[in-house]
Parts: sequence; C-alpha cells; structure tokens
Amino acid sequence: MVQIKNLHASIAGKEILKGLTLDIPDGQVHAIMGPNGSGKSTLSYVIAGREGYEVTGGEILLDGQNIMAMAPEERAAAGLFLAFQYPVEIPGVAMTMFMKTAINGIRKQRGEGEIDALDFLKLMKKKQAELGMSDEMMKRAVNVGFSGGEKKRNEVLQMAMLEPRMAVLDETDSGLDIDALKVVADGVNKLRSDKRSFLVITHYQRLLDYIKPDVVHVMAAGKIVKTGGPELALELEKTGYAEYAA
Amino acid sequence: MTTATVTKFPEKSPYQPDTAEGILRAYEAFVAEIDDQPQWLADLRKSSLKEFKRRGIPTPRLEGWKFTNIWPLVKAYGDKIGQIKVSHDNVDGVIITPLLQMLDQDWVKAALSEDMPPGQHNTENTLWHLGNIYLRNGIVIDVPANTEIKKSLELLTSAGEGAFFTDRMVIRLQKNARLTIVEDHWGKGAFWKNRLTHIVLEPGAKLTHIRIQDDSDKSVYTQTTNVHVGRDAVYDAVVLCSGAALSRNQVRVTLDDTCASCHLNSATLLRGEQLGDTTILVEHRAPHCQSNQNIRTVLDGRAHGVFQGKVHVHQPAQKTDGFQMSRALLLSEGSEMDTKPELEIYADDVKCSHGATTGQLDQEPLFYMQSRGIEEKTAKALLIQAFVAEVFENIEDEGLKTALERKVEAWLKL
Repeated sequence: MVQIKNLHASIAGKEILKGLTLDIPDGQVHAIMGPNGSGKSTLSYVIAGREGYEVTGGEILLDGQNIMAMAPEERAAAGLFLAFQYPVEIPGVAMTMFMKTAINGIRKQRGEGEIDALDFLKLMKKKQAELGMSDEMMKRAVNVGFSGGEKKRNEVLQMAMLEPRMAVLDETDSGLDIDALKVVADGVNKLRSDKRSFLVITHYQRLLDYIKPDVVHVMAAGKIVKTGGPELALELEKTGYAEYAA
Repeated sequence: MTTATVTKFPEKSPYQPDTAEGILRAYEAFVAEIDDQPQWLADLRKSSLKEFKRRGIPTPRLEGWKFTNIWPLVKAYGDKIGQIKVSHDNVDGVIITPLLQMLDQDWVKAALSEDMPPGQHNTENTLWHLGNIYLRNGIVIDVPANTEIKKSLELLTSAGEGAFFTDRMVIRLQKNARLTIVEDHWGKGAFWKNRLTHIVLEPGAKLTHIRIQDDSDKSVYTQTTNVHVGRDAVYDAVVLCSGAALSRNQVRVTLDDTCASCHLNSATLLRGEQLGDTTILVEHRAPHCQSNQNIRTVLDGRAHGVFQGKVHVHQPAQKTDGFQMSRALLLSEGSEMDTKPELEIYADDVKCSHGATTGQLDQEPLFYMQSRGIEEKTAKALLIQAFVAEVFENIEDEGLKTALERKVEAWLKL
C-alpha cells in the first residue's frame, strides 16, 4: 500500500504541493480530480522521482518503505509506475529493445537474472494482442509516429509488462476519443487486482465511467480538500471546481 | 569636410614556414635512397617540397584550420619517417598491386598528380604536399568493369612508433563495378599517420567505404581523401572515429557527371583531451547529382569536435540535391564543438539544405526510461547509440552494421 504523508514540494522556489496526505490500500483505485494548476501533475512527477522538484517536507511510503531518496529507476524496481500524460518519443530506440531493457533493468535491481528472450517475446505478444497493438508498432522507435491513442495504449502496455504494485495514471484520458478511451480503460481494468493499487489523476469525470474508483479525492492548491465515494466525481461534473478555486 | 584616415595593418602571413624545417630533417636521407622513380614523380616531389617549405605545417591562422592546431602535436616527428603498411586479404576479382609497380599507368599518375584538395576551398593542401615529399609505398586497388564483389575488402594499417608515417592508396572501380572496403586503424603508441587516398569511380560504379579509426590517443591521424564520382556512380562513406589525440579527416568529393551521388556519414566519439576534425568539400560539377552529409559527434571530458562542411554547386550543376546535417552531443561541460557549414551556389535551380545542432542529452526521454526501471547509465548509453545509429543506416551488410554498432557500444562502456 501507498501512504503519502504531509507532502510539500516546490519548483524553482514556488511551493506547489502544500501538505498533501493520501492513503491508498492494496487493491483500491483512487481518483484525484482537481482544477488546472492544483498540482496534480506535480504530484505524479514527485511520486515518480523526477528531477527539478524540491521536496521540502513529508514522505511517500511504498509498503512501509520510504522512497523519497530513491532514483526513478529504483522506484520502478520497488513497484511504482507512472503512465505519462505526454508519453515521450525516443527516436532510434525500438519498442521491443526498450521494453526488454526496462524489464531487465528492474530484474537486475531486484537481484534477478535477465529474462529469457523467448519468454519475453511471448509475454510481449500476449500483452500486445490484449491492447490491439501490432508487431509492426513494436519494431518502431518508442512512441515515434504513434497517434495520441497509440501512445496511451503504449503506456498501458508498459504497465502490463512491468506489473507494478502501484500505478499512477496522469491524465490518461487527455487527447483520447471515446473508442481509444475504452481500449485504454479496459487495459487498466484487466490489471486491477487485490495486490495492485491505482492513483488515477484526471480533470474530467468521463474516465471514471470506465475505470471505477473506490475513492475520489478533490485536490486544490496543492492539498486534498475533499474525499468521498464515486458519487463525488459525478457531483463535480455538475458543479465544477469553482468552489475549490484557490 | 572629412578626412579619412587609412590605417594599414602589416599583413601577417597565415603560413608558418619555419615549421617545415623540423619536419623535413629526415628528407635528405630519405630521398638519397630513391633511385627508381619516374621523372614526373621526381618533379612532383620537388614542387611539393618547394610549396611545403613556403607554407610549413598549417596553422589556425588559415581559415580551414582555425579550430585545429596541429603543430604542437606533430613537431616532434621530424627526425624519423616511415611508411604505413596496409595489409589485406585477397578478395577474388579485386586487383591489388604495390604502388611502385603502377607508376607508369596514366590513370595512377593522373590521380597522384591532382592537387588535393585545392587551397582555395576550406582546406589547405599542405598535408598533400607533405605526402608527396615522402611518397613511396602504397597500394593500388582496381576492380574491373561489371564486377560485383560481394565479399568486403578489409584493410588494416599499421605503423611503428615515434615517427611520421605516410602512405598512398589509389582506388579505381571501373564501369558498373561494386565494392565494399573496410579500413581498420588501431595503431598503438605515439606517431603521426598522414594518409592520402585517391578514388576514381567510373560510370555506374559503387563504392561503400567504411573507415574505423581507433588509433591510440597519443597519436595524430590525418587523412585526405579525394574522390571523383562519374555518371550514375555512388560513393557511400561511413566513418567511425574514436581514436587519436588529434584526427583530421578531410574529404573532397567531386561529382563529375550527371546523376553521380555521394553519402558521407560520419560518427565521431571523443573523450579526454581528444580533438576530432571532419572537413568536407563536395563539388557539384554536373546536373542531377545528389550529395548527402550526415555528421554525428559525441563529446565527453574536455574533447573538442570540429566539423567544416561545404557544398559547392558549380554553374552547370542544375537540379542539384545537396543536404548537410551536423548534430553534436555534449556530454560534459568541458567539451567543445565548432561547426562551420557552408553553401556556395552558382546554379539557379538547386535544392540545398544544411543544418547544425549542438546540445546535451534530452532530459525527457532520460526520465521516461528511468521511470521504467532503466538505470541512468544504461538509459544514456541507449540514447547516445540511437543518436549515432543513423550514420550506419545506409550500410546494407547487416553484419557490418552490427559490428559498427558494437564498437559504439564498447566505446560507451569505457
């Protein structure tokens, strides 16, 4: 399970997260909704360990272990995964190569041997098929020439391959049409299990029609300001974020 | 009323003739032993001697050498001179003859006598003169017409230590011949290798020319290559340079006839105090020709990269397609890249473009890869490999391509 305790973080001296606290037990899906500028994306990057964010207070515990001093790759090995709002293109690095290096990177950090090449291909084929991604796409460079929907599907594919303990989905619905949204949500739903938890960050309620959250939080000005059940999302859809504006 | 004051600066010669003397200390002894050269070669040697004495070693005061200061590294090499030995396997269909036996051939004589590259374009031909002065050994590689050689010809150069070394290579592919040459340089110790290569591609011929330069980081490597490309012929060059304290790879390609083309791809990987200079001149002399320069430079430590590339489109060369792109990656604060792209165009219906970028590794893909569990060092290596890989794209032989990629991988692990 994941515990975020009184997290404070700033960028270039400007405080963005102002004492955020959150508990996500195993097997649960939590959604964070909030207006633009409330610090949602900052939260996802701070969880993943991106450089450039200064954590001035608080901590994040994954299964009781403080991850704050860990490099991003160490957090991945500990079981964290971030599905990016804007997946990054990496020209010249083929998807299969990238995926295999990632799996072996995690295995190495966990003190395990490299994955068998054949096992890897089988696993990849299976996950690809589930998300309707072709072999041809896997030969291409990471995210290069992928459409918006393909990029998001690719995030889910990576998540499926890496089997994290905890996945953060940062605005996974942005830029998706309804069909692509369904495919991506199906992919996520297949990965739901009692050993895995999710933090779904979104601006709109729409995504939550497809990925049903157990708990919904409202974030404003760097803090969780309200917590409720799925009905809170519906309520927000009606009333908007006006009452939470900073 | 105004009075104009004209200040006259004393003209400072860009030449450094006093450096010639040091390099030529071994000349008398060298030339005394030669008793079997044709008159034209004796004359060439003499006129180059005169030119070299007038100019000396090129200095940064010369436009084409302003980023590359060679003198401090070569001044110790004047007392001893030697010949580079080029060893090779025999490949069926390729005729390889010692240069000395070919001096009576008109085409060999024409190749050796052509001033390369001419002084007015970017590069000084001092290295050519120096090569002429000490011209002795070399090989001539000839492929008869309509012969396609499947097996690549591998050449390995070797030189001794502590001296100036030179050699000559003359290559001809006759009509519609095809050949792949792979040159490997990995000399140990301290030396100065000054190599000169002449290449003649007859109509329809295609040469794939791969050079791997990994000489010791105490050495100096200077290479001048003069290529003539005939009608419908193709010169495809790939250089992987990671060796020598200082290297200068100067290439002049002349596209002599319609639909000739050249692809000059080069990857330079340097660290420590190394300097690597790639200086290219492409002369478009005929219509419908295509030239392509793709240069990648990766610099770490206090390494210094130089790229000077010029596309010169002569008036008859309508419908020219000229492309040039130099991209450099600086891995450290102390590294430096100097780029000088030039276009000189006298024809009015041409398509020419050039671009140059110098930057650091992108942080975005780095973080993306790390967030997937890839260690920072591995992620950086993958990004650098991807950055360089484009240079090898044209190589059809998968084995060769993989071999080059492995060399880049190995460099990254050092």
